[in-house]
Amino acid sequence: MARLGMVIDLKRCIGCYSCVAACKAENGTPPGVFWGRVLEKEEGKFPATKRTFLPVLCNHCQEPACLRVCPTGATSQRPDGIVLIDYKKCIGCRACMAACPYQTRYYLNSIQPYYPLGFTPFEERKYQKFQRGVVTKCTFCPERLDQGLEPACVQTCITGARYFGDLADPASQVSRLLRERYAFRLLPEAGTEPSVYYLA
Amino acid sequence: MAGVKDDVWLHSACSSCVNSDCPIIVHRVDGVIEKIEGDPDNPHNFGKICSKGHSAIMSLYDPYRVLHPLKRTNPQKGIGVDPQWQQISWEEALTTVAAKLKEVRAKDPRRLFMGSFDHIVMHQTMYPWAQAFGTPNLLLVGGAWYCGPALHTALYLTDAQFHSEIDADYCKYAILFGNQMGGNAGSLSTTMGKKMADARLRGMKLVVVDPILTNIAAKADEWLPIRPGTDGALALGMLNVLLNECGIHDAPFLKNQTNAPYLVGPDGLYVRDSETNKPLVWDAARGRAMPFDGSPEDPALEGDYEVGGVLAQPAFQLFRENVRKYTPEAVAEITTIPAEAVRRIAKEYGEAAMVGAKIVFEGQELPYRPVAVNQNRGANAHKHGTVTALAIQLLSIVVGALYVPGSHMGLNVVGPAKYDWSWEPEADPDGMVLTPVSKAFSLYDHSYLYNFEDRILEPPYFAGQVKWPPDSPYFKELYPLGLGAAPVLEVVLSQPEKYNPPYVPEMMVLSRCNLMMGRVNPEIMAGILKRVPFIVVFAQQLDESAEFADIVLPDAHVLERLDFCSQMMHITESPATGHWYFGVRQPVVPPAGESRPWREVLLDLARRIGMLPELNTLMNFRYELKEPHKLDPDQEYAWEEICDRWGKSLFGPEYGIEWFKQNGYLVFKRTPQEMYPGPFLKPKWPIYFENFKRAGVALQPLVEKSGLPVDTSDYEGLLDWRPCPSYEHRHGEYDLYAVNYKLPMHFFSHSPQNAWLNEMGERHPYGYDIMVHTDAARRRGISDGDSIRVESIAGKVQGRAKLTEAIHPECVGIAGNFGGWSRGKPLAKGKGVHWNTLVPLGIEYVDGISSNLDACPRVKVYKA
Repeated sequence: MARLGMVIDLKRCIGCYSCVAACKAENGTPPGVFWGRVLEKEEGKFPATKRTFLPVLCNHCQEPACLRVCPTGATSQRPDGIVLIDYKKCIGCRACMAACPYQTRYYLNSIQPYYPLGFTPFEERKYQKFQRGVVTKCTFCPERLDQGLEPACVQTCITGARYFGDLADPASQVSRLLRERYAFRLLPEAGTEPSVYYLA
Repeated sequence: MAGVKDDVWLHSACSSCVNSDCPIIVHRVDGVIEKIEGDPDNPHNFGKICSKGHSAIMSLYDPYRVLHPLKRTNPQKGIGVDPQWQQISWEEALTTVAAKLKEVRAKDPRRLFMGSFDHIVMHQTMYPWAQAFGTPNLLLVGGAWYCGPALHTALYLTDAQFHSEIDADYCKYAILFGNQMGGNAGSLSTTMGKKMADARLRGMKLVVVDPILTNIAAKADEWLPIRPGTDGALALGMLNVLLNECGIHDAPFLKNQTNAPYLVGPDGLYVRDSETNKPLVWDAARGRAMPFDGSPEDPALEGDYEVGGVLAQPAFQLFRENVRKYTPEAVAEITTIPAEAVRRIAKEYGEAAMVGAKIVFEGQELPYRPVAVNQNRGANAHKHGTVTALAIQLLSIVVGALYVPGSHMGLNVVGPAKYDWSWEPEADPDGMVLTPVSKAFSLYDHSYLYNFEDRILEPPYFAGQVKWPPDSPYFKELYPLGLGAAPVLEVVLSQPEKYNPPYVPEMMVLSRCNLMMGRVNPEIMAGILKRVPFIVVFAQQLDESAEFADIVLPDAHVLERLDFCSQMMHITESPATGHWYFGVRQPVVPPAGESRPWREVLLDLARRIGMLPELNTLMNFRYELKEPHKLDPDQEYAWEEICDRWGKSLFGPEYGIEWFKQNGYLVFKRTPQEMYPGPFLKPKWPIYFENFKRAGVALQPLVEKSGLPVDTSDYEGLLDWRPCPSYEHRHGEYDLYAVNYKLPMHFFSHSPQNAWLNEMGERHPYGYDIMVHTDAARRRGISDGDSIRVESIAGKVQGRAKLTEAIHPECVGIAGNFGGWSRGKPLAKGKGVHWNTLVPLGIEYVDGISSNLDACPRVKVYKA
């Protein structure tokens, strides 16, 4: 069985936010909702200062903490590992947000337009698939995967820092990269077995 | 488009920055744009676009867009003054504008000033339009003082091109000076973003010289935080180490492809052949002097020779001796970069250059120099910036790392040889390289860099003739090698009674250049604009400059307009791709409201003022239209038809505009010569600047006559670092430098009005804040997040302090261009900090050669 995952090469990432914008455009998330983000850290004293960029998104964990606590079954996991939220079942209790160690879930308290004057035609179209009072997060762009495409953030990454594929297939590019390079996952101690890996 | 049922992906080209023109595909579903992606399978951007490109959807649908022509009803103008707009019809607007244009044209056409930073329309349409009208005053663009006069003047001389890149595919050691190449905040964002990431993975060493630990500096192997305005000293120090400590230079290249062997006399001028007037070289093989082009067997780079009764030395020897004083220790004092680092980086660079190495590329043996230096305005946007930029360029030239595999590369110095409209650089009578000329691709004649004494003015009139009193309010006459003298224009127009220009603007037409934010202190520009009797602004939002307009014309978004050959050969077409790429920017939705593409309005206005025959004739000339595609001077054409004729004329009868709309772009492989033209070029590159020496001599009496504080100290054949005003004033009350920088997700002053980009700016850890070094903050009692003031002699700004170790301790860092205030851009209003307010304006702050303004103002910083 396939296990879909992402590998992000931090040597390539330049912290440009192209992935953030691609996600906005692909998924049409409302203001304040970022399924993909770029975290930044500064370390060290001048002139040996280091800045690190860390793109984050839902880790589509093998052992999703969010799924265990969801009281309605709104959060589910596909056989290929993708963790999804069914808005019809979501009651907005936000237990999943508390359980997720990665802060990659967003509660849609309301859906506001980006410009105070009102919704743009783009937003009118895209916000139809959202509803108030539910939790949302990154989906790995299943509609794109169905068409044989990569998730939007992977497709657009201008430095080619993101790779997507089947972690269970030893011949896949992601598996090969994980064998060849030093890789890590975020908060391994949480025991959630993320499907997003980072190359350092 | 409401009610339209469709689901299509259309080819077009991005224009969310002016540095890349990335090919895109746009997804339109039932008339609404749902997604933009990089055009797949093309070599330019590898199918990728950046945050700004994706976010074009939000600027397209910005509900604050201007959708109708507007007329000002409040005669009062000023910052914060409500123009009291009244909506009018296009007919009324254009009738009014045409009448004013006719009046100005009849009186004195030069009194029309046009400005834009919309490169493609500016070059392809605004220039010929202005030429037909009769005004040379085109260069009041938002960026003309800011990004490039020094840089481009230096690159014209040493790359024969406007912009440059690096050959990251083969490079092993790259040094960036004041430049974010590869960090999605500068030239060729997507091409270089990918190629430099590949190179880093491959093991290319990257050194970044910058006061700020920018995104690309964060990816470097070594960050060299430098004191602003001192990059030239660093480059000269590195040249000293290379030439005098390590003994590294590419002698065959210098002898045969540069003016290094030209003999220079005690007066600093070439020693010339008495018959032919050609510069002489010393042929060591024959033991005598001979003209440079007389096939010397072994032109000497060193030695002292008596020729024609004067003592002469090869330029190389003079150059090498002159840089001796830039010891790493002396350079460390100036730059704050430790002597050890100066010495080590120079040595590493010199060794990595592998002087003498060859590589076989597609069956062709070429020199292999896997080292590349690249610079941008951070290094050279200073007084004495031209010399700084040249010193940095010479790091490439002395090791022969120019236009060969692995090296520094100018963009497209030769054209695609398979077409008869191709281009290549020619030599001036002294053998020096001139910029290539292509009318169709907006590559202009810059031979004034060498023949300024007796040149004929060719539009678009970059520099001025050496004379006084001046012909123009730019006083270009005092900057004969410069690129427009825009800051001087501002000095003159801000105090016309003091400077007494030959004329002042009667009318201004502006498009996509926000003068109020893009130049120095807005109060100064407000004073200038208030004096202009009639201002027309093509606007998408009622920005800070549109607030000064008498008539606002609603401009179409880039996704609503047609641009042909969307790549700019001197800015956005990257040879590193290995391909030629000719694209189209096609409209993917109709213009919103009553907006129209400003280019098409210019054509309309040409007809209305009876100037169509002149404009059509000039378009025939500029676009190099061949029969049967030439325009009939008396007939009016839609822009699309002009593009159709242009495509067929350039590429053949099947390549009309429909072909480009269907296919998006014409792409084909470069030959090795088109990829790496270095060894194939006959003209010579300069290491010695005799033209500067000559210009200085010619200028001196004029400068004295003018009584203006024009600095002519840089007009020397040899390069020397001189302190900019901010460096000289570094010990006073204003004890820090304010430097600005680009964020990868922002561009110009308009991007904070883009809802997505603004949101990213707000969430960025300090993009809208003021970077203050932790130690400097502590000394001032400033804590992270405090509201602080930054004050220069020119103005003051306020913002939130971000304490950081990612900046030189003598600097505060402000990203931008932020800090807008117009009511028409409510999202951008008050976001970030307006750095430009701090920049002092004055002739004494202007680079003597290029007219670049010194852009590292001294400031004091305190809690608000």
